[in-house]
Amino acid sequence: MVNTLAKALVKAIGSAVVFASLSHAQTEADRDRRLAELERKVRILDPSFKADEAAFDDRLAALEKRIDEVLARSGSPAASTTVSASAQPLLPKAPLEAISVTGDYQQSLEGETRLPVSGYMDAHFNKAEGEPGRGDFHRFVLLFGHSFSDRIKFWSELELEHALVEGGEEKGEVALEQAYLDFLVKPWLNFRAGLVLSPMGIVNERHEPPSFNGVERPVVETIIIPSTWREMGAGITGDLGRGFRYRTFLMSALDPSGFDAEFGIQNGRTGGFESSFRNPAYAGRLEYAGVRRLTVGISGYTGVSSGDIVAVTPRTSIVSFDGRYSFKRIDLRGLFANTWISKSGELNLAMERLTGLNPNVGSQMRGYYAEPAVHVFPRRWRNDLILFTRYEKYNTQQQMAPGFVPLPEFNRSSLFAGVTFKPNADVALKFDYVFNRNAGSAIRPLNGLNLGLGWWF
Amino acid sequence: MFSRMLLLVMVALGMGAQQPTAKPDKVISISAERFAFSPSRIKLKQGSVVEFVITSEDTDHGFRIPGAGIDAAVPQQGKGELRIRFVAREKGKFPFECSRACGAGHNLMRGLIVVE
Repeated sequence: MVNTLAKALVKAIGSAVVFASLSHAQTEADRDRRLAELERKVRILDPSFKADEAAFDDRLAALEKRIDEVLARSGSPAASTTVSASAQPLLPKAPLEAISVTGDYQQSLEGETRLPVSGYMDAHFNKAEGEPGRGDFHRFVLLFGHSFSDRIKFWSELELEHALVEGGEEKGEVALEQAYLDFLVKPWLNFRAGLVLSPMGIVNERHEPPSFNGVERPVVETIIIPSTWREMGAGITGDLGRGFRYRTFLMSALDPSGFDAEFGIQNGRTGGFESSFRNPAYAGRLEYAGVRRLTVGISGYTGVSSGDIVAVTPRTSIVSFDGRYSFKRIDLRGLFANTWISKSGELNLAMERLTGLNPNVGSQMRGYYAEPAVHVFPRRWRNDLILFTRYEKYNTQQQMAPGFVPLPEFNRSSLFAGVTFKPNADVALKFDYVFNRNAGSAIRPLNGLNLGLGWWF
Repeated sequence: MFSRMLLLVMVALGMGAQQPTAKPDKVISISAERFAFSPSRIKLKQGSVVEFVITSEDTDHGFRIPGAGIDAAVPQQGKGELRIRFVAREKGKFPFECSRACGAGHNLMRGLIVVE
């Protein structure tokens, strides 16, 4: 019986070797790499073993000799077919002992988790009604990370926007989008410090092009929540168990001189450039993802906004609720956000005195959106075709300070209808058409079509 | 000579572990999506043989359990799954993490195996 099993095992392994040799036409470099890997594994069995720079055959002979010695020391018969059992006592037993790792994967043989360069890019073609179309290589982002150890990790994103940067001209920008260190202590308590993303809403922290529908990011998440919103800061993060996670940071405040009615608080971000910590702000998020394919979150931000240009220091506070859910081949996502700005009247008057223009900043801004989407192809397919529509409502003058009148032109809405085709989960070809409206009659916003190509690697 | 080559092949294929045919006591499905594993906390009984079946909801991820010396790729959505079978030999808490850069929240894409 034992002999039969042993023969069967030898046959199986022999077949595997023949199959492997046929299916992988080895290059010399590949043979060297595999030999080096064997040498590394033998070093685990016998730390005194040292590989030299000899020729391939000599290295193989040295390896065989050392295996003979290891077998002799272990007292195991060389001819035994239960090799794994005889080799086992030499290996320290892991608390979680691997039996097998299988599947559609490529196993990493590196001991250190050194992350390669990753990145994402997106290129757009936008055409507003009655205007010529414009192409824009919107984002070229490279990501660098490194694990100093299992507990200290670095992460960064370096971004080139709009393809071109020239001194003093409003064309592109090179920006550090995030760069921080994570100190991982416990699952429920970790520390992060550096240039961090404000943990607000959905898109600010999940903005890789294939991860959202539509060529451009949702308007509400660029005006009411000004993504990509990053500030200098430090804070704590953690997984509380049962699907609850949190992130909270003390971070540099917004600069109120950048607030206006058109873009909300978007231009108040400092982006880590001479950020003011005179009055640090607080941002936090609590998220629940305890049910598969469901994530809901609440985010909050409050801080006294201050800068060098204007002396008025309004408190800016934001609360947002968001959710994402997938059921079978239907995705739903939505977000609601409200912003409060104190002293907005004083700020408007101060900015008018300084620049001659009243920015008409509201004392409250509000926005929400809802996006249903359907995957046309079955889940098992490698390609994905997503039809979606998104309705957004956003008003940067939801409420004005006493003495200021809201303009209906800033009470806006956008209805998107579009399609995302993914020939690969990391590549998205996007098309959408947007119907823009506002509550006023003086200025009619333009509809437009957008084409986009985005990818992640 | 043949037995030595056999040993080389088995070591190279990572078959130095044990019980390649051990039937799992428990099979647990784990989904990986930027930037979380679900479930992220998994309780196991000491001595149990467990199989994780990990699938991605979006891009390629990695699955690394330092306590088991495992680090393998989770293929992107639509391209299959990763199966990891292991024995929970000792009581304790063992973190696992994504080992392939997947975006802004990559560092916190982690979980915990609790062996009781």
